[in-house]
Amino acid sequence: MDHQRDEKAGSICMEQEQQQQIEMVGKAFVEHYCRVFDTDRAALAALYDRGSLLSFEGQKVVGADEIARKLAQLPFGQCKHAVSTVDCQPSPVAGGILVFVSGSIQLPGEEHHLKFSQMFHLVPTQHGSFFVQNDIFRLNYG
Amino acid sequence: MDPDGVARAFVEHYYRTFDGNRAALGGLYQEGSMLTFEGDKIQGAQSIVAKLTSLPFQQCLHHISTVDCQPSGPQGGMLVFVSGAIQLAGENHQLKFSQMFHLMPTPQGSFYVLNDIFRLNYA
Repeated sequence: MDHQRDEKAGSICMEQEQQQQIEMVGKAFVEHYCRVFDTDRAALAALYDRGSLLSFEGQKVVGADEIARKLAQLPFGQCKHAVSTVDCQPSPVAGGILVFVSGSIQLPGEEHHLKFSQMFHLVPTQHGSFFVQNDIFRLNYG
Repeated sequence: MDPDGVARAFVEHYYRTFDGNRAALGGLYQEGSMLTFEGDKIQGAQSIVAKLTSLPFQQCLHHISTVDCQPSGPQGGMLVFVSGAIQLAGENHQLKFSQMFHLMPTPQGSFYVLNDIFRLNYA
């Protein structure tokens, strides 16, 4: 009957489904990333690739090995991430997802939490998971 | 200009337009552009401009603290991550914010905003 309206409704449903899917993946990734960061930082290397880029407080690092090294060398042992917001959008790079995170990091023995913002550009792997191609991290002072 | 310089120039242009002539921001987005503004999701240049021009303040001034940029992939896109503060007219206290842009090249040799995510950073 109303083929055009059905088509449009169908494509809106697909868009909503895609957005829901992206948010599920984005949130799940952030939870996993923070858990690994907080418990086994060296294991973060598996989430990056040879061509991955990290900008950490303005310092640029390239490649999974260097990135893992940089993160392992940060001047604190234990830490705990508390995530406040996660925003996700599709990226045109073949099924990629942009994830924008804000939250805080608690260091042991410190009362004051460090607030941060971070963005990830997740790109799908051949095996159906995602790796971090781009990672930018900034503390939010003041 | 090197990529960092390009990113910085774009960001300065973006906020200058935002602060001086908000309606003109439409020229920096396209139909497929996406904005997430404090969790609200908006798509397309027209709707995005409608959202930004309807924000509950007239005058504002952006101060940029940091700009980080990285290439996003083989299509020539650039990811730009900004932190700074917005000063509203008549307000003493500045609003801190973080924002990320995913810029894509246009055939004319400039960039448009494909992805835009904005969050205030509360104390």
